[in-house]
Amino acid sequence: MKKLKHILEECKAVAFVTYKEWSAYRTHSLVSVFVGPVYFIVQYFIWTAVYGDMGSLAGLELSETIRYFGASALIGYLTMDFADWNLQMLIRTGKFLTFTLRPMHHRFFALSQKIGHRVLGFFFEFLPCLLIFMLLFKVEIWPQQFGWTLLSVALAFLMNFYVNYCLGMTAFFLVKASGIRVVYQLFAQIFSGALIPLNFFPQILQKVMIFLPFQYTNYIPAMVWTGSEKIGVLGLSVPQAVLCQAAATLFMFLFSEVLYRCAMKQFTAVGA
Amino acid sequence: MKYIKIYSACVKTAFSQAAAYRADFIMGSFITLLSNILFPLVTILIYANGAEFPGWDMWEVLLIQSVYSMSTGISSMLLSSVVWVTMDHIRGGSFETVLLKPVSPLFFIMASNFDVQSIGLFLGGVIMAVIAAVHTGIGGLMDVVAFLLLFVAGLLVLCGMNLMMAAISFKWVGNSRIPEIFDSISTFGKYPLTIFPRAVQILSVLIIPVAVIGFFPASALLGRVDGKAFLSLIPCVLFLCLGIWLYNKMIRLYEGVGG
Repeated sequence: MKKLKHILEECKAVAFVTYKEWSAYRTHSLVSVFVGPVYFIVQYFIWTAVYGDMGSLAGLELSETIRYFGASALIGYLTMDFADWNLQMLIRTGKFLTFTLRPMHHRFFALSQKIGHRVLGFFFEFLPCLLIFMLLFKVEIWPQQFGWTLLSVALAFLMNFYVNYCLGMTAFFLVKASGIRVVYQLFAQIFSGALIPLNFFPQILQKVMIFLPFQYTNYIPAMVWTGSEKIGVLGLSVPQAVLCQAAATLFMFLFSEVLYRCAMKQFTAVGA
Repeated sequence: MKYIKIYSACVKTAFSQAAAYRADFIMGSFITLLSNILFPLVTILIYANGAEFPGWDMWEVLLIQSVYSMSTGISSMLLSSVVWVTMDHIRGGSFETVLLKPVSPLFFIMASNFDVQSIGLFLGGVIMAVIAAVHTGIGGLMDVVAFLLLFVAGLLVLCGMNLMMAAISFKWVGNSRIPEIFDSISTFGKYPLTIFPRAVQILSVLIIPVAVIGFFPASALLGRVDGKAFLSLIPCVLFLCLGIWLYNKMIRLYEGVGG
Protein backbone atom coordinates (compact mmCIF):
# COMPACT_ATOMS: atom_id res chain seq x y z
CA MET A 1 0.00 0.00 0.00
CA LYS A 2 2.83 2.34 0.98
CA LYS A 3 4.64 1.49 -2.26
CA LEU A 4 1.54 2.18 -4.31
CA LYS A 5 1.11 5.53 -2.60
CA HIS A 6 4.72 6.34 -3.36
CA ILE A 7 4.28 5.42 -7.03
CA LEU A 8 1.20 7.60 -7.28
CA GLU A 9 3.03 10.51 -5.69
CA GLU A 10 5.89 10.12 -8.17
CA CYS A 11 3.44 10.03 -11.05
CA LYS A 12 1.60 13.07 -9.71
CA ALA A 13 4.82 15.05 -9.29
CA VAL A 14 6.11 14.31 -12.81
CA ALA A 15 2.67 14.91 -14.34
CA PHE A 16 2.31 18.22 -12.52
CA VAL A 17 5.73 19.47 -13.63
CA THR A 18 4.98 18.46 -17.24
CA TYR A 19 1.61 20.21 -17.02
CA LYS A 20 3.27 23.40 -15.80
CA GLU A 21 5.99 23.15 -18.43
CA TRP A 22 3.55 22.75 -21.32
CA SER A 23 1.17 25.35 -19.92
CA ALA A 24 3.63 27.89 -21.29
CA TYR A 25 2.55 26.69 -24.75
CA ARG A 26 -1.17 26.45 -24.09
CA THR A 27 -2.02 28.51 -27.16
CA HIS A 28 -0.49 25.67 -29.19
CA SER A 29 -3.16 23.39 -27.77
CA LEU A 30 -5.82 25.98 -28.51
CA VAL A 31 -5.10 25.58 -32.24
CA SER A 32 -7.14 22.38 -31.91
CA VAL A 33 -10.20 24.44 -31.02
CA PHE A 34 -10.15 25.72 -34.59
CA VAL A 35 -8.67 22.76 -36.44
CA GLY A 36 -10.81 20.05 -34.80
CA PRO A 37 -14.20 21.61 -35.63
CA VAL A 38 -13.08 22.49 -39.19
CA TYR A 39 -12.09 18.89 -39.91
CA PHE A 40 -15.32 17.78 -38.31
CA ILE A 41 -17.39 20.08 -40.53
CA VAL A 42 -15.61 18.71 -43.61
CA GLN A 43 -16.39 15.16 -42.50
CA TYR A 44 -19.99 16.16 -41.82
CA PHE A 45 -20.51 17.49 -45.35
CA ILE A 46 -18.64 14.63 -47.00
CA TRP A 47 -20.62 11.93 -45.24
CA THR A 48 -23.94 13.71 -45.55
CA ALA A 49 -23.37 13.85 -49.31
CA VAL A 50 -22.11 10.28 -49.49
CA TYR A 51 -25.03 8.82 -47.56
CA GLY A 52 -27.60 10.71 -49.63
CA ASP A 53 -30.77 8.68 -49.32
CA MET A 54 -29.00 5.57 -48.11
CA GLY A 55 -30.14 4.43 -44.69
CA SER A 56 -26.90 2.78 -43.70
CA LEU A 57 -23.48 2.20 -45.15
CA ALA A 58 -21.06 -0.53 -44.07
CA GLY A 59 -23.41 -1.22 -41.15
CA LEU A 60 -23.35 2.38 -39.91
CA GLU A 61 -26.13 4.95 -40.07
CA LEU A 62 -25.27 8.55 -40.93
CA SER A 63 -25.79 9.76 -37.36
CA GLU A 64 -23.49 6.99 -36.10
CA THR A 65 -20.80 7.92 -38.61
CA ILE A 66 -20.99 11.60 -37.65
CA ARG A 67 -20.79 10.66 -33.97
CA TYR A 68 -17.90 8.36 -34.79
CA PHE A 69 -15.85 11.18 -36.31
CA GLY A 70 -16.65 13.51 -33.40
CA ALA A 71 -15.66 10.83 -30.88
CA SER A 72 -12.55 9.99 -32.88
CA ALA A 73 -11.39 13.62 -32.81
CA LEU A 74 -12.03 13.91 -29.08
CA ILE A 75 -10.27 10.63 -28.32
CA GLY A 76 -7.29 11.90 -30.30
CA TYR A 77 -6.96 14.84 -27.91
CA LEU A 78 -6.96 12.54 -24.90
CA THR A 79 -4.55 9.93 -26.22
CA MET A 80 -2.14 12.02 -28.32
CA ASP A 81 1.42 10.94 -27.71
CA PHE A 82 4.97 11.55 -28.81
CA ALA A 83 6.86 9.25 -26.46
CA ASP A 84 8.55 7.74 -29.52
CA TRP A 85 10.07 11.04 -30.60
CA ASN A 86 11.15 11.87 -27.07
CA LEU A 87 12.75 8.50 -26.40
CA GLN A 88 14.62 8.30 -29.69
CA MET A 89 15.94 11.82 -29.10
CA LEU A 90 17.19 10.83 -25.63
CA ILE A 91 18.89 7.74 -27.04
CA ARG A 92 20.46 9.48 -30.02
CA THR A 93 21.86 12.31 -27.94
CA GLY A 94 23.01 10.01 -25.15
CA LYS A 95 20.83 11.80 -22.60
CA PHE A 96 19.09 8.53 -21.87
CA LEU A 97 22.06 7.70 -19.64
CA THR A 98 20.80 10.13 -17.00
CA PHE A 99 17.54 8.20 -16.83
CA THR A 100 19.22 4.86 -16.32
CA LEU A 101 20.83 6.34 -13.21
CA ARG A 102 17.52 7.44 -11.70
CA PRO A 103 15.58 5.27 -9.24
CA MET A 104 12.60 5.22 -11.57
CA HIS A 105 11.85 3.20 -14.69
CA HIS A 106 12.02 5.54 -17.69
CA ARG A 107 8.80 4.10 -19.12
CA PHE A 108 6.93 5.07 -15.95
CA PHE A 109 8.51 8.52 -16.05
CA ALA A 110 7.44 8.96 -19.70
CA LEU A 111 3.94 7.72 -18.90
CA SER A 112 3.64 10.22 -16.06
CA GLN A 113 4.81 12.95 -18.43
CA LYS A 114 2.15 11.93 -20.89
CA ILE A 115 -0.52 12.07 -18.18
CA GLY A 116 0.49 15.65 -17.34
CA HIS A 117 0.59 16.62 -20.99
CA ARG A 118 -2.82 15.17 -21.71
CA VAL A 119 -4.41 16.75 -18.64
CA LEU A 120 -3.49 20.00 -20.34
CA GLY A 121 -4.98 18.63 -23.57
CA PHE A 122 -8.14 17.79 -21.65
CA PHE A 123 -8.65 21.41 -20.59
CA PHE A 124 -7.45 23.22 -23.71
CA GLU A 125 -8.43 20.80 -26.50
CA PHE A 126 -10.90 18.17 -25.38
CA LEU A 127 -13.32 20.28 -23.34
CA PRO A 128 -13.62 23.23 -25.78
CA CYS A 129 -14.11 20.87 -28.74
CA LEU A 130 -16.63 18.76 -26.82
CA LEU A 131 -18.63 21.89 -26.06
CA ILE A 132 -18.43 23.07 -29.69
CA PHE A 133 -19.64 19.68 -30.95
CA MET A 134 -22.46 19.57 -28.41
CA LEU A 135 -23.64 23.16 -28.27
CA LEU A 136 -22.73 24.61 -31.67
CA PHE A 137 -23.05 21.60 -33.97
CA LYS A 138 -25.79 19.95 -31.87
CA VAL A 139 -24.19 16.53 -32.24
CA GLU A 140 -25.27 13.87 -29.74
CA ILE A 141 -21.70 13.29 -28.78
CA TRP A 142 -22.12 12.33 -25.13
CA PRO A 143 -21.01 8.67 -24.70
CA GLN A 144 -23.82 6.15 -24.72
CA GLN A 145 -22.16 3.99 -22.06
CA PHE A 146 -20.02 6.31 -20.01
CA GLY A 147 -18.22 3.72 -17.86
CA TRP A 148 -17.18 1.49 -20.75
CA THR A 149 -16.15 4.53 -22.79
CA LEU A 150 -13.97 5.80 -19.97
CA LEU A 151 -12.30 2.42 -19.66
CA SER A 152 -11.86 2.08 -23.41
CA VAL A 153 -10.32 5.55 -23.76
CA ALA A 154 -7.98 4.83 -20.82
CA LEU A 155 -6.86 1.63 -22.55
CA ALA A 156 -6.39 3.50 -25.83
CA PHE A 157 -4.30 6.03 -23.92
CA LEU A 158 -2.04 3.25 -22.61
CA MET A 159 -1.97 1.36 -25.91
CA ASN A 160 -0.90 4.44 -27.82
CA PHE A 161 1.80 5.09 -25.26
CA TYR A 162 3.20 1.54 -25.23
CA VAL A 163 3.24 1.30 -29.03
CA ASN A 164 5.01 4.63 -29.32
CA TYR A 165 7.43 3.70 -26.56
CA CYS A 166 8.32 0.52 -28.44
CA LEU A 167 8.85 2.57 -31.60
CA GLY A 168 11.08 4.92 -29.67
CA MET A 169 13.08 1.96 -28.38
CA THR A 170 14.00 0.98 -31.92
CA ALA A 171 16.50 3.84 -31.65
CA PHE A 172 18.52 1.62 -29.28
CA PHE A 173 19.19 -0.57 -32.30
CA LEU A 174 19.02 1.92 -35.19
CA VAL A 175 20.15 5.16 -33.48
CA LYS A 176 17.88 7.24 -35.69
CA ALA A 177 14.35 5.88 -35.81
CA SER A 178 12.60 8.73 -37.60
CA GLY A 179 11.96 6.64 -40.74
CA ILE A 180 10.19 3.93 -38.76
CA ARG A 181 8.14 6.58 -36.96
CA VAL A 182 6.97 8.12 -40.22
CA VAL A 183 6.01 4.75 -41.70
CA TYR A 184 4.15 3.77 -38.53
CA GLN A 185 2.29 7.08 -38.40
CA LEU A 186 1.29 6.64 -42.01
CA PHE A 187 -0.21 3.22 -41.41
CA ALA A 188 -1.67 4.24 -38.05
CA GLN A 189 -3.55 7.11 -39.65
CA ILE A 190 -5.29 4.73 -42.02
CA PHE A 191 -5.69 1.54 -40.04
CA SER A 192 -6.59 3.17 -36.73
CA GLY A 193 -9.84 4.32 -38.29
CA ALA A 194 -9.02 8.01 -37.98
CA LEU A 195 -9.74 8.70 -41.67
CA ILE A 196 -12.63 6.30 -42.18
CA PRO A 197 -14.32 3.72 -39.91
CA LEU A 198 -12.77 0.30 -40.39
CA ASN A 199 -16.21 -1.11 -41.33
CA PHE A 200 -15.53 0.26 -44.82
CA PHE A 201 -12.43 -1.89 -45.31
CA PRO A 202 -12.63 -5.34 -46.94
CA GLN A 203 -13.45 -8.06 -44.39
CA ILE A 204 -10.16 -9.89 -44.82
CA LEU A 205 -8.25 -6.71 -44.00
CA GLN A 206 -10.46 -6.08 -40.96
CA LYS A 207 -9.61 -9.59 -39.72
CA VAL A 208 -5.89 -8.98 -40.15
CA MET A 209 -6.21 -5.70 -38.26
CA ILE A 210 -7.43 -7.53 -35.16
CA PHE A 211 -3.85 -8.66 -34.67
CA LEU A 212 -2.35 -5.21 -35.24
CA PRO A 213 -2.27 -2.43 -32.64
CA PHE A 214 -3.80 0.34 -34.74
CA GLN A 215 -7.53 -0.12 -34.17
CA TYR A 216 -7.14 -0.31 -30.38
CA THR A 217 -5.95 3.29 -30.29
CA ASN A 218 -8.89 4.83 -32.13
CA TYR A 219 -11.49 2.66 -33.85
CA ILE A 220 -12.47 0.49 -30.87
CA PRO A 221 -12.75 3.38 -28.37
CA ALA A 222 -14.64 5.51 -30.91
CA MET A 223 -17.10 2.68 -31.57
CA VAL A 224 -17.49 2.09 -27.83
CA TRP A 225 -18.10 5.84 -27.43
CA THR A 226 -20.85 5.79 -30.06
CA GLY A 227 -22.40 2.81 -28.26
CA SER A 228 -22.37 0.58 -31.31
CA GLU A 229 -23.92 -2.82 -30.69
CA LYS A 230 -21.73 -4.68 -33.17
CA ILE A 231 -18.12 -3.59 -33.25
CA GLY A 232 -15.73 -4.61 -35.99
CA VAL A 233 -15.75 -7.59 -38.30
CA LEU A 234 -16.45 -9.97 -35.42
CA GLY A 235 -19.54 -8.01 -34.35
CA LEU A 236 -18.31 -7.66 -30.76
CA SER A 237 -20.44 -6.20 -28.00
CA VAL A 238 -19.03 -3.24 -26.07
CA PRO A 239 -17.71 -5.33 -23.11
CA GLN A 240 -16.16 -7.86 -25.50
CA ALA A 241 -14.47 -5.10 -27.49
CA VAL A 242 -13.06 -3.52 -24.34
CA LEU A 243 -11.83 -6.92 -23.18
CA CYS A 244 -10.01 -7.42 -26.49
CA GLN A 245 -8.55 -3.96 -26.10
CA ALA A 246 -7.36 -4.78 -22.57
CA ALA A 247 -5.72 -7.99 -23.79
CA ALA A 248 -3.97 -6.14 -26.62
CA THR A 249 -2.77 -3.41 -24.23
CA LEU A 250 -1.44 -6.00 -21.77
CA PHE A 251 0.40 -7.74 -24.59
CA MET A 252 1.89 -4.44 -25.72
CA PHE A 253 3.00 -3.64 -22.16
CA LEU A 254 4.74 -7.02 -21.85
CA PHE A 255 6.31 -6.61 -25.27
CA SER A 256 7.64 -3.18 -24.32
CA GLU A 257 9.21 -4.69 -21.18
CA VAL A 258 10.92 -7.48 -23.15
CA LEU A 259 12.16 -4.95 -25.70
CA TYR A 260 13.40 -2.66 -22.93
CA ARG A 261 15.42 -5.46 -21.33
CA CYS A 262 16.94 -6.44 -24.69
CA ALA A 263 17.75 -2.80 -25.40
CA MET A 264 19.40 -2.27 -22.01
CA LYS A 265 21.79 -5.12 -22.70
CA GLN A 266 23.21 -3.34 -25.71
CA PHE A 267 22.83 0.31 -24.71
CA THR A 268 26.14 2.14 -24.88
CA ALA A 269 25.95 5.60 -23.36
CA VAL A 270 28.02 8.39 -24.79
CA GLY A 271 28.45 10.48 -21.71
CA ALA A 272 25.36 12.71 -22.16
CA MET B 1 18.76 37.85 -63.99
CA LYS B 2 20.75 37.97 -60.76
CA TYR B 3 17.88 36.37 -58.90
CA ILE B 4 17.51 33.59 -61.47
CA LYS B 5 21.23 32.80 -61.19
CA ILE B 6 21.07 32.70 -57.39
CA TYR B 7 17.96 30.55 -57.46
CA SER B 8 19.38 28.01 -59.91
CA ALA B 9 22.61 27.80 -57.88
CA CYS B 10 20.57 27.13 -54.74
CA VAL B 11 18.48 24.45 -56.44
CA LYS B 12 21.66 22.76 -57.68
CA THR B 13 23.02 22.83 -54.13
CA ALA B 14 19.79 21.30 -52.80
CA PHE B 15 20.12 18.42 -55.29
CA SER B 16 23.78 17.95 -54.37
CA GLN B 17 22.84 17.80 -50.69
CA ALA B 18 20.16 15.22 -51.45
CA ALA B 19 22.72 13.21 -53.43
CA ALA B 20 25.04 13.20 -50.42
CA TYR B 21 22.38 11.38 -48.39
CA ARG B 22 20.94 9.30 -51.21
CA ALA B 23 19.42 6.59 -49.03
CA ASP B 24 17.64 9.17 -46.88
CA PHE B 25 16.43 11.01 -49.97
CA ILE B 26 15.15 7.84 -51.68
CA MET B 27 13.53 6.61 -48.46
CA GLY B 28 11.92 10.00 -47.79
CA SER B 29 10.63 10.31 -51.35
CA PHE B 30 9.33 6.74 -51.27
CA ILE B 31 7.43 7.35 -48.03
CA THR B 32 5.98 10.54 -49.47
CA LEU B 33 4.98 8.65 -52.60
CA LEU B 34 3.42 5.89 -50.49
CA SER B 35 1.45 8.38 -48.40
CA ASN B 36 0.24 9.87 -51.66
CA ILE B 37 -1.00 6.54 -52.90
CA LEU B 38 -2.83 5.97 -49.62
CA PHE B 39 -4.35 9.46 -49.58
CA PRO B 40 -7.26 8.62 -51.96
CA LEU B 41 -8.02 5.44 -50.02
CA VAL B 42 -11.04 7.02 -48.34
CA THR B 43 -12.56 7.84 -51.73
CA ILE B 44 -11.87 4.33 -53.04
CA LEU B 45 -13.41 2.74 -49.95
CA ILE B 46 -16.50 4.95 -50.19
CA TYR B 47 -17.11 3.88 -53.78
CA ALA B 48 -16.21 0.26 -53.02
CA ASN B 49 -19.04 0.25 -50.49
CA GLY B 50 -21.56 1.28 -53.11
CA ALA B 51 -21.80 4.96 -52.14
CA GLU B 52 -20.71 8.01 -54.12
CA PHE B 53 -20.24 11.74 -54.14
CA PRO B 54 -23.43 12.79 -55.95
CA GLY B 55 -22.72 13.62 -59.58
CA TRP B 56 -19.11 12.45 -59.50
CA ASP B 57 -17.71 9.03 -60.30
CA MET B 58 -14.71 7.62 -58.48
CA TRP B 59 -12.10 8.48 -61.10
CA GLU B 60 -13.32 12.07 -61.32
CA VAL B 61 -12.96 12.50 -57.56
CA LEU B 62 -9.53 10.86 -57.70
CA LEU B 63 -8.56 13.30 -60.44
CA ILE B 64 -9.51 16.22 -58.17
CA GLN B 65 -7.41 14.74 -55.37
CA SER B 66 -4.44 14.01 -57.59
CA VAL B 67 -4.42 17.56 -58.99
CA TYR B 68 -4.54 18.74 -55.38
CA SER B 69 -1.48 16.56 -54.64
CA MET B 70 0.38 17.94 -57.64
CA SER B 71 -0.26 21.50 -56.49
CA THR B 72 0.82 20.83 -52.91
CA GLY B 73 3.88 18.98 -54.25
CA ILE B 74 5.04 22.00 -56.21
CA SER B 75 4.26 24.48 -53.45
CA SER B 76 6.08 22.25 -50.94
CA MET B 77 9.14 22.19 -53.17
CA LEU B 78 9.19 25.94 -53.54
CA LEU B 79 7.75 27.33 -50.34
CA SER B 80 6.96 24.90 -47.53
CA SER B 81 10.38 25.42 -45.96
CA VAL B 82 9.74 29.16 -45.82
CA VAL B 83 7.32 28.51 -42.97
CA TRP B 84 9.63 26.26 -40.97
CA VAL B 85 12.83 28.18 -41.64
CA THR B 86 11.24 31.52 -40.78
CA MET B 87 9.75 29.98 -37.65
CA ASP B 88 13.10 28.53 -36.57
CA HIS B 89 14.95 31.78 -37.22
CA ILE B 90 12.43 33.78 -35.21
CA ARG B 91 12.43 31.35 -32.31
CA GLY B 92 16.19 31.12 -32.30
CA GLY B 93 16.61 34.87 -32.72
CA SER B 94 18.81 34.44 -35.78
CA PHE B 95 16.68 36.14 -38.42
CA GLU B 96 19.30 38.90 -38.63
CA THR B 97 21.47 36.53 -40.63
CA VAL B 98 18.76 36.55 -43.28
CA LEU B 99 18.10 40.29 -43.10
CA LEU B 100 21.78 41.06 -43.64
CA LYS B 101 21.92 39.26 -46.98
CA PRO B 102 22.04 41.56 -50.04
CA VAL B 103 18.82 40.10 -51.47
CA SER B 104 15.17 40.13 -50.43
CA PRO B 105 14.78 38.07 -47.21
CA LEU B 106 11.81 36.22 -48.65
CA PHE B 107 13.68 35.33 -51.82
CA PHE B 108 16.75 34.24 -49.86
CA ILE B 109 14.76 31.85 -47.66
CA MET B 110 12.84 30.52 -50.66
CA ALA B 111 15.93 29.92 -52.75
CA SER B 112 18.14 28.47 -50.03
CA ASN B 113 15.52 25.99 -48.84
CA PHE B 114 14.33 24.26 -51.98
CA ASP B 115 12.71 21.04 -50.77
CA VAL B 116 13.90 18.25 -53.04
CA GLN B 117 11.97 15.55 -51.20
CA SER B 118 8.62 17.02 -52.21
CA ILE B 119 9.33 15.75 -55.70
CA GLY B 120 7.88 12.46 -54.43
CA LEU B 121 4.65 14.23 -53.58
CA PHE B 122 4.44 15.86 -56.98
CA LEU B 123 5.30 12.69 -58.90
CA GLY B 124 2.77 10.70 -56.89
CA GLY B 125 0.14 13.25 -57.85
CA VAL B 126 1.14 13.09 -61.51
CA ILE B 127 0.98 9.28 -61.59
CA MET B 128 -2.41 9.30 -59.91
CA ALA B 129 -3.69 12.04 -62.22
CA VAL B 130 -2.60 10.14 -65.33
CA ILE B 131 -4.31 6.95 -64.13
CA ALA B 132 -7.49 8.86 -63.26
CA ALA B 133 -7.44 10.80 -66.54
CA VAL B 134 -7.10 7.58 -68.53
CA HIS B 135 -10.36 6.39 -66.95
CA THR B 136 -12.26 9.66 -67.16
CA GLY B 137 -10.92 10.95 -70.45
CA ILE B 138 -10.12 14.64 -70.82
CA GLY B 139 -11.66 17.50 -72.78
CA GLY B 140 -10.20 19.34 -75.76
CA LEU B 141 -7.24 21.69 -76.12
CA MET B 142 -9.10 24.63 -74.61
CA ASP B 143 -9.89 22.52 -71.55
CA VAL B 144 -6.20 21.71 -71.14
CA VAL B 145 -5.35 25.42 -71.40
CA ALA B 146 -8.05 26.20 -68.81
CA PHE B 147 -6.59 23.46 -66.61
CA LEU B 148 -3.11 24.98 -66.79
CA LEU B 149 -4.42 28.45 -66.03
CA LEU B 150 -6.44 27.28 -63.02
CA PHE B 151 -3.61 25.03 -61.86
CA VAL B 152 -1.24 28.01 -61.75
CA ALA B 153 -3.93 29.98 -59.91
CA GLY B 154 -4.14 27.16 -57.36
CA LEU B 155 -0.38 27.40 -56.87
CA LEU B 156 -0.75 31.12 -56.17
CA VAL B 157 -3.23 30.29 -53.40
CA LEU B 158 -0.88 27.76 -51.83
CA CYS B 159 2.02 30.20 -52.08
CA GLY B 160 -0.11 32.87 -50.44
CA MET B 161 -1.04 30.45 -47.67
CA ASN B 162 2.57 29.50 -47.01
CA LEU B 163 3.59 33.14 -46.81
CA MET B 164 0.74 33.97 -44.45
CA MET B 165 1.72 31.07 -42.20
CA ALA B 166 5.31 32.27 -42.15
CA ALA B 167 4.13 35.84 -41.50
CA ILE B 168 1.98 34.76 -38.55
CA SER B 169 5.00 33.11 -36.96
CA PHE B 170 6.57 36.57 -36.48
CA LYS B 171 3.81 37.32 -33.98
CA TRP B 172 2.86 33.84 -32.76
CA VAL B 173 6.42 32.78 -32.01
CA GLY B 174 7.36 29.13 -32.12
CA ASN B 175 3.93 27.71 -32.76
CA SER B 176 4.61 24.68 -34.90
CA ARG B 177 0.88 24.05 -35.25
CA ILE B 178 0.18 27.08 -37.45
CA PRO B 179 0.27 24.94 -40.64
CA GLU B 180 -2.49 22.75 -39.22
CA ILE B 181 -4.86 25.72 -39.36
CA PHE B 182 -4.28 26.17 -43.08
CA ASP B 183 -4.23 22.42 -43.76
CA SER B 184 -7.66 22.09 -42.20
CA ILE B 185 -9.07 24.92 -44.33
CA SER B 186 -7.57 23.58 -47.54
CA THR B 187 -9.25 20.20 -46.95
CA PHE B 188 -12.32 21.74 -48.61
CA GLY B 189 -10.32 21.83 -51.85
CA LYS B 190 -9.83 18.05 -51.92
CA TYR B 191 -13.47 17.19 -52.62
CA PRO B 192 -16.08 18.15 -55.23
CA LEU B 193 -17.23 21.64 -54.36
CA THR B 194 -20.83 20.72 -55.14
CA ILE B 195 -21.16 18.59 -51.99
CA PHE B 196 -20.71 21.63 -49.77
CA PRO B 197 -23.44 24.15 -48.92
CA ARG B 198 -23.63 27.46 -50.76
CA ALA B 199 -21.92 29.47 -48.00
CA VAL B 200 -18.92 27.14 -47.96
CA GLN B 201 -18.75 27.23 -51.75
CA ILE B 202 -18.62 31.03 -51.77
CA LEU B 203 -16.03 31.00 -48.99
CA SER B 204 -13.80 28.50 -50.77
CA VAL B 205 -14.03 30.27 -54.14
CA LEU B 206 -13.94 33.94 -53.28
CA ILE B 207 -12.60 34.43 -49.76
CA ILE B 208 -10.05 31.65 -49.27
CA PRO B 209 -9.97 30.18 -52.78
CA VAL B 210 -9.03 26.61 -51.87
CA ALA B 211 -11.44 25.26 -54.51
CA VAL B 212 -8.91 26.44 -57.11
CA ILE B 213 -6.22 24.13 -55.75
CA GLY B 214 -7.80 20.86 -56.84
CA PHE B 215 -11.45 21.12 -57.79
CA PHE B 216 -11.46 23.77 -60.53
CA PRO B 217 -8.37 22.60 -62.46
CA ALA B 218 -9.62 19.00 -62.42
CA SER B 219 -13.10 20.12 -63.50
CA ALA B 220 -11.50 22.07 -66.34
CA LEU B 221 -9.61 18.98 -67.48
CA LEU B 222 -12.89 17.08 -67.47
CA GLY B 223 -14.56 19.84 -69.47
CA ARG B 224 -16.95 20.49 -66.60
CA VAL B 225 -15.96 24.01 -65.69
CA ASP B 226 -17.96 27.11 -66.61
CA GLY B 227 -16.89 30.75 -67.01
CA LYS B 228 -17.68 31.57 -63.39
CA ALA B 229 -14.70 29.50 -62.26
CA PHE B 230 -12.38 32.01 -63.92
CA LEU B 231 -13.72 34.72 -61.61
CA SER B 232 -11.82 32.98 -58.86
CA LEU B 233 -8.55 33.93 -60.59
CA ILE B 234 -8.89 37.42 -59.10
CA PRO B 235 -9.03 36.28 -55.45
CA CYS B 236 -6.14 33.90 -56.18
CA VAL B 237 -3.88 36.75 -57.30
CA LEU B 238 -5.08 38.88 -54.39
CA PHE B 239 -4.38 36.02 -52.01
CA LEU B 240 -0.76 35.80 -53.15
CA CYS B 241 -0.34 39.58 -53.00
CA LEU B 242 -1.76 39.56 -49.48
CA GLY B 243 0.70 36.82 -48.50
CA ILE B 244 3.71 38.75 -49.84
CA TRP B 245 2.52 42.02 -48.30
CA LEU B 246 1.85 40.40 -44.93
CA TYR B 247 5.23 38.65 -44.85
CA ASN B 248 7.12 41.85 -45.63
CA LYS B 249 5.01 43.79 -43.14
CA MET B 250 5.50 41.26 -40.35
CA ILE B 251 9.28 41.24 -40.80
CA ARG B 252 9.20 44.66 -39.14
CA LEU B 253 7.84 43.06 -35.99
CA TYR B 254 10.93 40.89 -35.65
CA GLU B 255 12.87 41.55 -32.49
CA GLY B 256 16.39 40.22 -32.75
CA VAL B 257 18.38 38.89 -29.83
CA GLY B 258 21.82 39.16 -31.30
CA GLY B 259 21.75 36.46 -34.00
